[in-house]
Amino acid sequence: MRLVIDEKRCKGCDLCTMVCPYRIFQPGKRPNMRGIVVPELDRPERCPNTRLQALYGRTLCGMCQMICPDQAISWQEERPGEKRKVAIEF
Amino acid sequence: MRADRLPHIFCSGCGNGTVLNCTLNAVDQMGWKKEETVFVSGIGCSSRAPGYILADSLHTTHGRALAFATGIKMAKPELHVVVLTGDGDLAAIGGNHFIHACRRNIDLSVVCMNNMIYGMTGGQVSPTTPRTALSTTTPYGSAEPAFDLCELAIAAGANYVSRWTSFHVKELTRAILAGLRIPGLSFIEALSQCPTNFGKRNKFRQAMDQVEYFKTHGILIEKVQRLREEGKDIPPDAIVLGEMIRRNRPAMGVRK
Ligand SMILES: Cc1ncc(C[n+]2csc(CCOP(=O)(O)OP(=O)(O)O)c2C)c(N)n1
Ligand code: SF4
Ligand code: SF4
Ligand code: SF4
Repeated sequence: MRLVIDEKRCKGCDLCTMVCPYRIFQPGKRPNMRGIVVPELDRPERCPNTRLQALYGRTLCGMCQMICPDQAISWQEERPGEKRKVAIEF
Repeated sequence: MRADRLPHIFCSGCGNGTVLNCTLNAVDQMGWKKEETVFVSGIGCSSRAPGYILADSLHTTHGRALAFATGIKMAKPELHVVVLTGDGDLAAIGGNHFIHACRRNIDLSVVCMNNMIYGMTGGQVSPTTPRTALSTTTPYGSAEPAFDLCELAIAAGANYVSRWTSFHVKELTRAILAGLRIPGLSFIEALSQCPTNFGKRNKFRQAMDQVEYFKTHGILIEKVQRLREEGKDIPPDAIVLGEMIRRNRPAMGVRK
Protein backbone atom coordinates (compact mmCIF):
# COMPACT_ATOMS: atom_id res chain seq x y z
CA MET A 1 0.00 0.00 0.00
CA ARG A 2 0.97 3.58 -0.47
CA LEU A 3 0.69 6.40 2.07
CA VAL A 4 -0.97 9.41 0.48
CA ILE A 5 -2.14 12.86 1.51
CA ASP A 6 -5.27 13.99 -0.28
CA GLU A 7 -4.29 17.43 -1.53
CA LYS A 8 -7.93 18.37 -2.02
CA ARG A 9 -8.63 17.93 1.70
CA CYS A 10 -5.39 18.88 3.46
CA LYS A 11 -5.38 22.36 4.93
CA GLY A 12 -1.69 22.40 5.82
CA CYS A 13 -1.97 22.52 9.59
CA ASP A 14 1.16 20.35 10.05
CA LEU A 15 -0.35 18.40 12.94
CA CYS A 16 0.73 15.17 11.25
CA THR A 17 4.37 16.28 11.36
CA MET A 18 4.14 16.26 15.13
CA VAL A 19 2.87 12.73 15.77
CA CYS A 20 4.64 10.35 13.41
CA PRO A 21 7.26 8.27 15.27
CA TYR A 22 9.29 7.97 12.03
CA ARG A 23 8.94 11.65 11.15
CA ILE A 24 7.65 10.70 7.74
CA PHE A 25 5.70 13.94 7.47
CA GLN A 26 7.95 16.95 6.97
CA PRO A 27 6.66 20.52 6.73
CA GLY A 28 6.11 21.35 3.09
CA LYS A 29 7.88 24.12 1.27
CA ARG A 30 5.80 25.11 -1.72
CA PRO A 31 2.09 25.94 -1.86
CA ASN A 32 0.04 23.72 -4.13
CA MET A 33 -2.52 24.93 -6.66
CA ARG A 34 -4.97 25.67 -3.85
CA GLY A 35 -2.38 27.79 -2.05
CA ILE A 36 -1.92 25.27 0.71
CA VAL A 37 1.48 24.10 1.91
CA VAL A 38 0.92 20.35 2.08
CA PRO A 39 3.50 18.40 4.12
CA GLU A 40 6.07 16.37 2.22
CA LEU A 41 6.54 12.66 2.76
CA ASP A 42 10.01 11.51 3.68
CA ARG A 43 10.36 7.87 2.53
CA PRO A 44 6.72 6.99 3.24
CA GLU A 45 7.43 3.31 2.58
CA ARG A 46 8.79 3.19 6.16
CA CYS A 47 5.29 3.43 7.59
CA PRO A 48 4.38 -0.05 8.89
CA ASN A 49 0.94 0.26 7.36
CA THR A 50 2.32 0.24 3.84
CA ARG A 51 3.51 -3.35 4.31
CA LEU A 52 1.53 -4.85 7.14
CA GLN A 53 -1.99 -3.46 6.93
CA ALA A 54 -3.26 -6.22 4.68
CA LEU A 55 -1.44 -8.88 6.69
CA TYR A 56 -2.90 -7.83 10.03
CA GLY A 57 -6.25 -6.79 8.61
CA ARG A 58 -6.29 -3.56 10.56
CA THR A 59 -4.59 -0.20 10.72
CA LEU A 60 -1.40 -0.19 12.75
CA CYS A 61 -0.22 2.93 14.57
CA GLY A 62 -2.52 5.26 12.64
CA MET A 63 -1.65 8.33 14.69
CA CYS A 64 -1.39 10.57 11.63
CA GLN A 65 -4.76 9.46 10.28
CA MET A 66 -6.47 9.98 13.63
CA ILE A 67 -5.03 13.40 14.34
CA CYS A 68 -5.51 14.81 10.84
CA PRO A 69 -8.54 17.06 11.33
CA ASP A 70 -9.30 17.00 7.63
CA GLN A 71 -9.40 13.25 7.01
CA ALA A 72 -6.69 13.73 4.36
CA ILE A 73 -4.37 10.80 5.16
CA SER A 74 -5.01 7.32 3.84
CA TRP A 75 -3.34 4.24 2.45
CA GLN A 76 -4.09 3.27 -1.10
CA GLU A 77 -3.73 -0.04 -2.84
CA GLU A 78 -1.13 0.02 -5.62
CA ARG A 79 -2.31 -0.44 -9.14
CA PRO A 80 -1.41 -3.88 -10.53
CA GLY A 81 2.11 -3.88 -11.90
CA GLU A 82 3.04 -0.64 -10.19
CA LYS A 83 6.56 -0.60 -8.77
CA ARG A 84 6.78 -0.55 -5.01
CA LYS A 85 9.52 0.33 -2.67
CA VAL A 86 9.98 -1.44 0.63
CA ALA A 87 11.90 -0.07 3.58
CA ILE A 88 12.02 -1.51 7.05
CA GLU A 89 13.05 0.59 9.98
CA PHE A 90 13.93 -0.96 13.32
CA MET B 1 -18.05 10.13 6.76
CA ARG B 2 -19.86 11.78 3.94
CA ALA B 3 -16.96 12.02 1.51
CA ASP B 4 -18.95 14.22 -0.87
CA ARG B 5 -19.16 16.99 1.73
CA LEU B 6 -15.44 17.12 2.46
CA PRO B 7 -13.37 19.22 2.92
CA HIS B 8 -15.38 20.50 5.87
CA ILE B 9 -15.79 24.06 7.09
CA PHE B 10 -13.47 23.78 10.09
CA CYS B 11 -10.43 26.04 9.91
CA SER B 12 -7.00 24.65 9.24
CA GLY B 13 -5.76 22.83 12.33
CA CYS B 14 -9.09 22.90 14.16
CA GLY B 15 -9.28 20.15 16.78
CA ASN B 16 -12.93 19.43 16.04
CA GLY B 17 -11.96 17.30 13.05
CA THR B 18 -9.70 15.17 15.23
CA VAL B 19 -12.39 14.65 17.86
CA LEU B 20 -14.82 13.73 15.09
CA ASN B 21 -12.35 11.09 13.83
CA CYS B 22 -12.09 9.60 17.32
CA THR B 23 -15.84 9.56 17.83
CA LEU B 24 -16.47 7.85 14.51
CA ASN B 25 -13.72 5.34 15.19
CA ALA B 26 -15.33 4.45 18.52
CA VAL B 27 -18.81 4.18 16.97
CA ASP B 28 -17.33 1.90 14.27
CA GLN B 29 -15.77 -0.30 16.90
CA MET B 30 -19.15 -0.65 18.57
CA GLY B 31 -20.47 -1.93 15.27
CA TRP B 32 -23.62 0.18 15.44
CA LYS B 33 -25.52 0.34 12.20
CA LYS B 34 -26.18 3.78 10.75
CA GLU B 35 -29.93 3.19 10.82
CA GLU B 36 -29.94 2.81 14.59
CA THR B 37 -27.57 5.62 15.53
CA VAL B 38 -28.50 9.26 15.83
CA PHE B 39 -26.06 12.14 16.21
CA VAL B 40 -27.47 15.25 17.87
CA SER B 41 -25.85 18.67 18.07
CA GLY B 42 -26.68 22.26 18.84
CA ILE B 43 -25.15 25.34 17.25
CA GLY B 44 -21.46 26.17 16.93
CA CYS B 45 -18.46 25.03 14.92
CA SER B 46 -18.26 21.79 16.87
CA SER B 47 -21.94 21.22 16.35
CA ARG B 48 -21.46 21.22 12.58
CA ALA B 49 -19.78 17.85 12.90
CA PRO B 50 -22.87 15.58 12.61
CA GLY B 51 -23.50 17.07 9.18
CA TYR B 52 -20.47 15.17 7.90
CA ILE B 53 -21.50 11.80 9.26
CA LEU B 54 -23.30 9.22 7.19
CA ALA B 55 -26.11 8.58 9.67
CA ASP B 56 -29.23 10.28 10.93
CA SER B 57 -28.43 13.55 12.60
CA LEU B 58 -30.29 16.35 14.26
CA HIS B 59 -28.83 19.84 14.16
CA THR B 60 -30.91 21.62 16.76
CA THR B 61 -31.15 25.09 18.25
CA HIS B 62 -28.36 26.61 20.31
CA GLY B 63 -27.86 24.82 23.62
CA ARG B 64 -30.76 22.44 23.21
CA ALA B 65 -28.97 19.38 21.87
CA LEU B 66 -29.45 17.49 25.14
CA ALA B 67 -33.13 18.38 25.31
CA PHE B 68 -33.71 17.00 21.81
CA ALA B 69 -31.58 13.95 22.57
CA THR B 70 -33.63 13.27 25.70
CA GLY B 71 -36.74 13.37 23.56
CA ILE B 72 -35.34 10.88 21.07
CA LYS B 73 -34.22 8.51 23.79
CA MET B 74 -37.55 8.65 25.61
CA ALA B 75 -39.56 8.09 22.43
CA LYS B 76 -37.30 5.40 20.97
CA PRO B 77 -35.01 3.86 23.58
CA GLU B 78 -33.70 1.36 21.04
CA LEU B 79 -31.77 4.07 19.19
CA HIS B 80 -28.17 4.86 20.10
CA VAL B 81 -27.88 8.58 20.68
CA VAL B 82 -24.57 10.42 20.56
CA VAL B 83 -24.48 14.14 21.33
CA LEU B 84 -21.67 16.21 19.81
CA THR B 85 -21.52 19.64 21.32
CA GLY B 86 -19.33 22.64 22.06
CA ASP B 87 -18.47 24.27 25.34
CA GLY B 88 -20.69 27.29 24.77
CA ASP B 89 -23.48 25.07 23.58
CA LEU B 90 -23.27 22.72 26.54
CA ALA B 91 -22.17 24.85 29.47
CA ALA B 92 -23.37 28.37 28.70
CA ILE B 93 -26.77 28.42 27.04
CA GLY B 94 -27.39 24.73 27.61
CA GLY B 95 -26.02 24.50 31.15
CA ASN B 96 -29.38 23.76 32.68
CA HIS B 97 -30.12 20.96 30.24
CA PHE B 98 -26.70 19.53 30.98
CA ILE B 99 -27.09 19.23 34.74
CA HIS B 100 -30.56 17.83 34.44
CA ALA B 101 -29.59 15.30 31.81
CA CYS B 102 -26.84 14.19 34.22
CA ARG B 103 -29.28 14.11 37.11
CA ARG B 104 -31.74 11.97 35.17
CA ASN B 105 -28.81 9.90 33.96
CA ILE B 106 -30.32 9.36 30.53
CA ASP B 107 -28.59 6.77 28.39
CA LEU B 108 -26.73 9.21 26.11
CA SER B 109 -23.09 9.65 25.16
CA VAL B 110 -22.09 13.29 25.23
CA VAL B 111 -18.83 14.32 23.56
CA CYS B 112 -18.01 17.94 24.29
CA MET B 113 -15.42 19.56 22.04
CA ASN B 114 -14.20 22.12 24.49
CA ASN B 115 -12.20 24.77 22.68
CA MET B 116 -12.51 27.19 25.61
CA ILE B 117 -14.08 29.90 23.44
CA TYR B 118 -17.14 30.69 21.28
CA GLY B 119 -15.56 29.76 17.98
CA MET B 120 -18.33 30.31 15.48
CA THR B 121 -19.31 33.81 16.55
CA GLY B 122 -15.77 35.17 16.52
CA GLY B 123 -14.06 34.40 19.81
CA GLN B 124 -16.15 35.63 22.72
CA VAL B 125 -15.44 34.42 26.23
CA SER B 126 -17.13 31.15 27.21
CA PRO B 127 -17.72 29.60 30.66
CA THR B 128 -14.68 27.38 30.17
CA THR B 129 -12.25 30.09 29.07
CA PRO B 130 -9.29 29.91 31.46
CA ARG B 131 -8.67 32.85 33.75
CA THR B 132 -6.48 35.60 32.20
CA ALA B 133 -7.05 34.26 28.67
CA LEU B 134 -7.75 36.90 26.04
CA SER B 135 -10.84 36.90 23.86
CA THR B 136 -12.78 39.53 21.93
CA THR B 137 -14.98 40.27 24.95
CA THR B 138 -12.14 40.08 27.49
CA PRO B 139 -9.37 42.17 25.89
CA TYR B 140 -7.56 42.51 29.23
CA GLY B 141 -7.86 38.84 30.12
CA SER B 142 -10.76 36.93 31.54
CA ALA B 143 -11.34 37.78 35.20
CA GLU B 144 -13.66 34.88 35.93
CA PRO B 145 -12.69 31.40 37.03
CA ALA B 146 -13.57 28.71 34.50
CA PHE B 147 -16.06 25.89 34.75
CA ASP B 148 -14.70 22.40 35.26
CA LEU B 149 -17.21 20.48 33.16
CA CYS B 150 -16.10 17.09 34.44
CA GLU B 151 -16.56 18.05 38.09
CA LEU B 152 -19.95 19.45 37.16
CA ALA B 153 -21.02 16.22 35.47
CA ILE B 154 -19.81 14.13 38.40
CA ALA B 155 -21.63 16.30 40.93
CA ALA B 156 -24.81 16.20 38.84
CA GLY B 157 -24.73 12.43 38.59
CA ALA B 158 -23.37 11.20 35.26
CA ASN B 159 -22.39 7.53 35.16
CA TYR B 160 -19.14 7.94 33.26
CA VAL B 161 -16.95 11.02 33.03
CA SER B 162 -13.57 11.40 31.44
CA ARG B 163 -11.41 14.10 29.91
CA TRP B 164 -8.83 13.91 27.13
CA THR B 165 -7.51 16.27 24.52
CA SER B 166 -7.16 16.32 20.76
CA PHE B 167 -3.53 15.25 21.16
CA HIS B 168 -4.43 12.03 23.01
CA VAL B 169 -6.30 10.45 20.12
CA LYS B 170 -5.96 6.82 21.18
CA GLU B 171 -6.99 7.49 24.77
CA LEU B 172 -9.85 9.68 23.63
CA THR B 173 -11.13 6.93 21.33
CA ARG B 174 -10.91 4.42 24.15
CA ALA B 175 -12.76 6.77 26.50
CA ILE B 176 -15.54 7.39 23.97
CA LEU B 177 -15.81 3.64 23.41
CA ALA B 178 -16.17 3.08 27.16
CA GLY B 179 -18.76 5.85 27.25
CA LEU B 180 -20.78 4.30 24.44
CA ARG B 181 -20.80 0.94 26.23
CA ILE B 182 -21.90 2.24 29.62
CA PRO B 183 -25.62 2.64 30.27
CA GLY B 184 -26.60 6.03 31.60
CA LEU B 185 -25.13 9.39 30.72
CA SER B 186 -21.49 9.27 29.75
CA PHE B 187 -19.71 12.57 29.39
CA ILE B 188 -16.41 12.82 27.55
CA GLU B 189 -14.77 16.21 27.48
CA ALA B 190 -12.30 16.57 24.60
CA LEU B 191 -10.19 19.69 24.88
CA SER B 192 -9.53 20.87 21.36
CA GLN B 193 -7.57 23.67 19.80
CA CYS B 194 -9.17 26.62 18.05
CA PRO B 195 -6.23 28.21 16.26
CA THR B 196 -8.39 30.88 14.66
CA ASN B 197 -10.11 32.39 17.67
CA PHE B 198 -8.40 31.09 20.79
CA GLY B 199 -4.88 30.28 19.64
CA LYS B 200 -3.97 33.46 17.86
CA ARG B 201 -4.98 35.61 20.85
CA ASN B 202 -3.33 33.41 23.44
CA LYS B 203 0.23 32.89 22.26
CA PHE B 204 -0.48 29.76 20.27
CA ARG B 205 0.37 31.05 16.82
CA GLN B 206 -0.07 27.67 15.17
CA ALA B 207 -2.43 24.80 15.83
CA MET B 208 0.64 22.72 16.68
CA ASP B 209 1.62 25.00 19.55
CA GLN B 210 -1.61 24.45 21.40
CA VAL B 211 -1.53 20.71 20.81
CA GLU B 212 2.04 20.72 22.14
CA TYR B 213 0.70 22.55 25.20
CA PHE B 214 -1.92 19.82 25.73
CA LYS B 215 0.86 17.26 25.42
CA THR B 216 3.20 18.88 27.93
CA HIS B 217 0.62 20.10 30.45
CA GLY B 218 -1.62 17.05 30.59
CA ILE B 219 -1.41 15.20 33.89
CA LEU B 220 -3.21 11.98 34.72
CA ILE B 221 -5.87 11.95 37.42
CA GLU B 222 -4.06 9.07 39.15
CA LYS B 223 -0.95 11.20 39.42
CA VAL B 224 -2.95 14.12 40.80
CA GLN B 225 -4.41 11.87 43.48
CA ARG B 226 -0.95 10.56 44.35
CA LEU B 227 0.44 14.08 44.60
CA ARG B 228 -2.45 15.05 46.83
CA GLU B 229 -1.88 12.09 49.14
CA GLU B 230 1.79 12.93 49.37
CA GLY B 231 0.84 16.50 50.16
CA LYS B 232 2.72 17.85 47.14
CA ASP B 233 1.64 20.76 44.98
CA ILE B 234 -0.10 20.24 41.68
CA PRO B 235 1.11 22.67 38.99
CA PRO B 236 -1.58 25.37 38.65
CA ASP B 237 -1.70 25.19 34.85
CA ALA B 238 -1.95 21.39 34.68
CA ILE B 239 -4.76 19.85 32.68
CA VAL B 240 -6.14 16.89 34.59
CA LEU B 241 -6.80 14.03 32.20
CA GLY B 242 -8.20 10.55 32.47
CA GLU B 243 -11.24 8.70 33.66
CA MET B 244 -12.81 10.70 36.46
CA ILE B 245 -15.64 8.39 37.42
CA ARG B 246 -17.36 5.18 36.41
CA ARG B 247 -20.36 4.15 38.46
CA ASN B 248 -23.70 2.49 38.22
CA ARG B 249 -26.49 4.84 39.20
CA PRO B 250 -29.97 3.97 37.95
CA ALA B 251 -30.28 5.19 34.37
CA MET B 252 -33.24 6.31 32.24
CA GLY B 253 -33.94 5.30 28.68
CA VAL B 254 -32.05 2.01 28.81
CA ARG B 255 -33.58 -0.69 26.65
CA LYS B 256 -35.04 -3.41 28.82
C1 LIG C 1 -30.33 31.25 20.93
C2 LIG C 1 -29.04 31.63 20.31
N1 LIG C 1 -28.18 32.47 20.97
C3 LIG C 1 -26.99 32.80 20.45
C4 LIG C 1 -26.60 32.31 19.25
C5 LIG C 1 -25.28 32.72 18.68
N2 LIG C 1 -24.27 31.69 18.68
C6 LIG C 1 -24.05 30.89 17.62
S1 LIG C 1 -22.75 29.83 17.83
C7 LIG C 1 -22.48 30.46 19.39
C8 LIG C 1 -21.35 29.96 20.24
C9 LIG C 1 -21.04 28.50 20.12
O1 LIG C 1 -19.94 28.22 20.88
P1 LIG C 1 -19.51 26.76 21.22
O2 LIG C 1 -20.69 25.95 21.59
O3 LIG C 1 -18.38 26.86 22.18
O4 LIG C 1 -19.02 26.11 19.86
P2 LIG C 1 -17.68 26.38 19.06
O5 LIG C 1 -18.10 27.22 17.91
O6 LIG C 1 -16.73 27.06 19.98
O7 LIG C 1 -17.23 25.03 18.64
C10 LIG C 1 -23.40 31.45 19.70
C11 LIG C 1 -23.40 32.20 20.99
C12 LIG C 1 -27.49 31.44 18.56
N3 LIG C 1 -27.16 30.91 17.36
N4 LIG C 1 -28.68 31.12 19.10
S1 SF4 D 1 0.59 5.39 10.62
FE1 SF4 D 1 2.08 5.98 12.18
S2 SF4 D 1 4.08 5.43 11.30
FE2 SF4 D 1 2.62 5.45 9.62
S3 SF4 D 1 2.79 7.50 8.77
FE3 SF4 D 1 1.12 7.54 10.26
S4 SF4 D 1 2.04 8.23 12.16
FE4 SF4 D 1 3.71 7.59 10.81
S1 SF4 E 1 -2.74 16.84 9.59
FE1 SF4 E 1 -3.93 16.53 7.72
S2 SF4 E 1 -4.64 18.57 7.13
FE2 SF4 E 1 -2.98 18.86 8.61
S3 SF4 E 1 -1.15 19.07 7.33
FE3 SF4 E 1 -1.31 16.89 7.87
S4 SF4 E 1 -2.43 15.99 6.15
FE4 SF4 E 1 -2.74 18.19 6.03
S1 SF4 F 1 -13.36 29.06 14.63
FE1 SF4 F 1 -12.17 27.70 15.97
S2 SF4 F 1 -13.60 26.05 16.53
FE2 SF4 F 1 -14.45 27.10 14.75
S3 SF4 F 1 -13.72 25.92 12.98
FE3 SF4 F 1 -12.29 27.61 13.30
S4 SF4 F 1 -10.68 26.73 14.60
FE4 SF4 F 1 -12.45 25.37 14.74
